Amino acid sequence: MISIENLSKYYSSHQVLKGINLTLEAGMVHGIVGENGAGKTTLFKCIAGLEDFEGSITSQFSPLKNHLGFLQTDPFFFSKITGREYLQLLCNARQQPPTDLHAKNIFDLPLNQYANTYSTGMKKKLALTAILLQQNEAFILDEPFNGVDIQSNMVITEIIQKLRSLGKTVLISSHIFSTLNDTCDWIYLLKDGQFIRQAGRDGFADLEAEMRAFTVGDRVARLGLS
Amino acid sequence: MRHYFKLQLTLINRHISDFGLRPAIGYLLAFVLFIGLSLALFIKTSFAQYLYLLMVISFLLNLGERSRNEFLKSIFKAGEYRKIRLLENAIVALPFVLFLVYKTCYLSALATAVCAAILAFLQFKAISNFTLPIPFSRWPFEFTAGFRKTFCLHLFAYFLTFMAVLVDNFNLGVFSLLVVFVVCLTYYGELEADYCIWIHAQKPKGFLWTKIKTALLYSSILSLPITGVLCGFYPQYTHIILAVQLLGYGYLSCFILGKYAAFPHPISLPQSIMFAVCFAMPPLLLLVIPFFYRQSTQKLTRILP
Repeated sequence: MISIENLSKYYSSHQVLKGINLTLEAGMVHGIVGENGAGKTTLFKCIAGLEDFEGSITSQFSPLKNHLGFLQTDPFFFSKITGREYLQLLCNARQQPPTDLHAKNIFDLPLNQYANTYSTGMKKKLALTAILLQQNEAFILDEPFNGVDIQSNMVITEIIQKLRSLGKTVLISSHIFSTLNDTCDWIYLLKDGQFIRQAGRDGFADLEAEMRAFTVGDRVARLGLS
Repeated sequence: MRHYFKLQLTLINRHISDFGLRPAIGYLLAFVLFIGLSLALFIKTSFAQYLYLLMVISFLLNLGERSRNEFLKSIFKAGEYRKIRLLENAIVALPFVLFLVYKTCYLSALATAVCAAILAFLQFKAISNFTLPIPFSRWPFEFTAGFRKTFCLHLFAYFLTFMAVLVDNFNLGVFSLLVVFVVCLTYYGELEADYCIWIHAQKPKGFLWTKIKTALLYSSILSLPITGVLCGFYPQYTHIILAVQLLGYGYLSCFILGKYAAFPHPISLPQSIMFAVCFAMPPLLLLVIPFFYRQSTQKLTRILP
């Protein structure tokens, strides 16, 4: 379990996160939705320990970062590093021997090609494979479905469900509500750096309707298209 | 088009500021360095004008990189794009052309100008899909990526060793050993993303030790063939060869620690100066290495608690 209490984050005088409280239980998938700039990625970076913050994050893992797999929205790749070498790098970093990569290459990625020549979706799949091979206990997946083909989307959904059944802690974000609908136990709506709404599985439909109402509103009408 | 060049100037100014200098001082320093290095080059070798031409071409090839040019083509009209490329190449080539004229190398100056004009209309694909097999894949990434980018320089160093033995020039042999270590140093010039440090389940000390251990092991793989050949052909100078090898290890360790001592920023001007002073006075490594080590462990504690 990961417990986040009163987490705030400032960039200079601008407060990006405003007293976030969140409990991430093991064996549960937690989803976060919100507009661009709502603070999702900043929150994820704070949990991972990549950003300083005010407040506290506690977990049964010490330190949490050594048991956490973090899939970034736009994974970073070095030039002239093959997919296989990227997997080796991440496995070595957690002292996990990178064994049988051929069988574990479930997305059929061209592992002997340079990773920075991969397409957006392939990069995401490679980064996801890497954090899965690390045998982590908790996962933060920032936009895991972004740029990924529909077949791989189905595989990723299956992976998330498998992680839940294995008792792992999973936190994901997505702009596509339906993907969260299929995978999450809880969905939190983040707006202007704070959670303004949360819902369990039986409240997802209402949450989506509410989001549509305040997100779309009269924006399209304001364009004055004719 | 004017806005494009103003933006390029702003970008250059930002790079200079990131290095810890005021842009005006940066330009002055660049001018002094350019004149100084050019004079030194022309004094040291009779092939200076050809090296000059090669340097200009290598700079211009970077500007002709395909993805960059495709982006420019997509945002500017065809005529404007051509003007921009011609002007860019002219700006890069001009200092070299002027210096060649000053040195009365008129033919080389003309060749440089013509190359700059021709290369403005050509594009080059920087990324090749060919994957060079290498022995450094067990512990990526610095040597893995670096060697693939610079393997030609290592081949050049081995060629120099061969020539050193052939013409019986020990100094050239030592120089070839230094080339290997200097090339290896460049592998650590680029600061990786926070994430690539964060992924390590290690404390700063362990992380740094792994980095240094990997660097020493892999640089040994690249340098020991030269060291072995030199020791074989010049056994009377074994102590000098081993001293150079040890110095190479020292500079490599110092550079790695200096890089993380500046983290999360690129190596700053004071750190560069300290490193440069160590080049002039190697015994200072004994002071600078522990200093950088202390700084880097402090800097890394934030993301490797």
